[in-house]
Amino acid sequence: MKKEYKYLTLILIALLLSVSFISASGTQEEQSGETVLQYWSWDPEAKESNEALILEFEAANPGITVELTTLEPKEYWTKIRIMANQKKLPDVFNLSSGYLEEWASNDLLLNLDSYIENDLDQSKYYMSLFDAGKDTAGKGSYFAAPYALVTTNLFYNMDAFDEAGIAYPDKNWTWDDFRNAAIALTKDKNNDGVIDQWGYWFYGRYAHVESWVYSNNGHLLDRKNMSFDPDAQAMEALRFLTDLVLVDKAAPPKKEMSAFRQQDVFPQAAAAMFVDGSWNIANNRTVAGDNFRWGIAEIPVGPSGDGTITYGWPDYVALSPTGENSDAAWKFAKFVSGEGLSLDMYLAGKIPSYRSLTESEEFLEKDMQPYNKEVLIDQAGETMRTSFTLGWGEWRGYGAAETLGFNGVIDGIIDGEFSFEDGMEKADKNINTVLDRLYR
Amino acid sequence: MKYSFSWYKKKDPWIFLLPTLLGLFVFRLGPIIGSFLLSFTDWDIIKKPNFIGLENYIELFNNPSFIEVLSNTLLFAFMYVIGVTVIGLFLAVLLNRNFKGISFFRSAFYTPVVTSAVAVGIIWSWILSPNYGVLNLMLLKLGINPPYWLGDTSIALFTVASVQVWKMAGYYMIVFLAGLQGIPRSLLEAAHIDGASPRRSFFTITLPLLSPTTFFVVSIAIIDSFKNFELIYAMTKGGPQNATNTLVYDVFLNAFVYYRMGYASTVAYILLALVAGFSLLNFTLKKHWVNYQY
Repeated sequence: MKKEYKYLTLILIALLLSVSFISASGTQEEQSGETVLQYWSWDPEAKESNEALILEFEAANPGITVELTTLEPKEYWTKIRIMANQKKLPDVFNLSSGYLEEWASNDLLLNLDSYIENDLDQSKYYMSLFDAGKDTAGKGSYFAAPYALVTTNLFYNMDAFDEAGIAYPDKNWTWDDFRNAAIALTKDKNNDGVIDQWGYWFYGRYAHVESWVYSNNGHLLDRKNMSFDPDAQAMEALRFLTDLVLVDKAAPPKKEMSAFRQQDVFPQAAAAMFVDGSWNIANNRTVAGDNFRWGIAEIPVGPSGDGTITYGWPDYVALSPTGENSDAAWKFAKFVSGEGLSLDMYLAGKIPSYRSLTESEEFLEKDMQPYNKEVLIDQAGETMRTSFTLGWGEWRGYGAAETLGFNGVIDGIIDGEFSFEDGMEKADKNINTVLDRLYR
Repeated sequence: MKYSFSWYKKKDPWIFLLPTLLGLFVFRLGPIIGSFLLSFTDWDIIKKPNFIGLENYIELFNNPSFIEVLSNTLLFAFMYVIGVTVIGLFLAVLLNRNFKGISFFRSAFYTPVVTSAVAVGIIWSWILSPNYGVLNLMLLKLGINPPYWLGDTSIALFTVASVQVWKMAGYYMIVFLAGLQGIPRSLLEAAHIDGASPRRSFFTITLPLLSPTTFFVVSIAIIDSFKNFELIYAMTKGGPQNATNTLVYDVFLNAFVYYRMGYASTVAYILLALVAGFSLLNFTLKKHWVNYQY
């Protein structure tokens, strides 16, 4: 048996030596004067483009090496939270609007005020996106650099509009215009008692609901007291939306569409209009193909709205507050959120924060649907409003929780599970329980 | 012939057991103990956990939706255990004979077990679709007004449980088949000679002699019934209106969507207590209905 112990000891020594060799090689790299930056991305599809971008950056910045880690979105947040907990955040990393406040309030993001004020040609960017981030973080400072914006749009089926003899939506469209169109576009084409084409499709999803609230200049939240307290304009929007199902019968109850992926209802021509994030351009192209012509428009302006507010939110790159190479990290963050990017790195419908990309002919993709992408450019300059707070995913009902929270309440109203009043009472109680826990 | 064990040392087996024990402690017992400790904290992964005593437990029992989640879990478990036991046994009895193509049927019934739950969920969502689904189209042809299988709060849980039963019945069928083939044919032949009908033979000979297998099936099915995450995620995401939200789905939501690790650990411990309680009850009742002797 002594022989076996000898072998075991040898194996252990070999393991220890290899581990120390690996760590030694790391320290040698750092000792050579090279600045090594860690960059975490949540976009596996952009991995190759990111690698090319990094090569370009390294060539222009000798002495700085960037190590890329790409994760699936569903793993990204858990892993990066663990890194934050261990004070080992990567120097530069992707950050979404939804987590900006939480991360800024926990001092997990480097304050970028001095960099943005002194080392950024602001004329080259849509500063409204930087400001949106400042508002979301809620500390009066910049904590992240936006590289892309998504807005919410009204998608409409041009063929269905032509067939019904209705003019396409434009910036002057009112809620009444929209409602009348939705009613006229709701059709049982074969008279079998089943609607084949709904005028409109929505459910409790954040992008489907808040876009109307903001188009009416409404607020779901009382930001001063951090409570859920929809104002009169917001209530008007919620009532208008739910009445489309319950009164006008121009949109289906949610339960009617349980077989569809929500984003496929419109491109499969089961509804003639649909509101969701601009990233749906990519999905519409894939699913609808050339089956019908479609376009995009801004959300119709509500009775109390003025057409200057967009429900949109940027995606960001942020910097670790504990990184030892902040200047180099900023240099890379600036590159990866602007001049280093190319349009092929953006999912169709995402709007670059770097003006020259967005305002180029290539961005408009005139040979592809929708033929009026300039709508997105108009929106990029507008005021952004969102409902992001701490615990937003929980109270709003997002992702795997999308049948719960406020999402579930709206679904319950349009599915006839409870009345509008009971639903709002339920929302008030449940949402404020979450907000109270997080803010008080 | 005498063997000499002079080389044997008491500690030697531990060397061989070490990898397994390490795995057990690091990947099983460690997290179990860790999550118990976490259930007394407000850990959100980002910050250091703060000890908050029984606050999570108090919040849990004061949360009206928890009662709903708990009753969904128990109802799902009840439907699942009864479903897979009865249907698994029925299929096993059906296939416990020799005829041409028996292997095909056994494989066919077992196929859903090894099919991805997400794929099963998506396919069944299409089948159960209100206006385009095969099932509702057939019901309409028969003049029956079909329900919203996944959209109606009163039947969504039943629907998901039924799909889970459909998926897993084949597994329990195989277990029952093994049990059935262990019953001596001579007993059934003697009963047949004595004039017992097949039905009488089944209830007075087969079923009692199958009780150890049934006990095993019920025990495994109880534990299995609480593992309903994938199908719920794929078909309903806990909705509509919390109607299909179960403890295991709630653990996932709190841990990986809301990042309330402390609270999620509390829910997980309630789940553990439930599984342990039911298993204990099953073992306690075992002596009253399980018969190990021919």
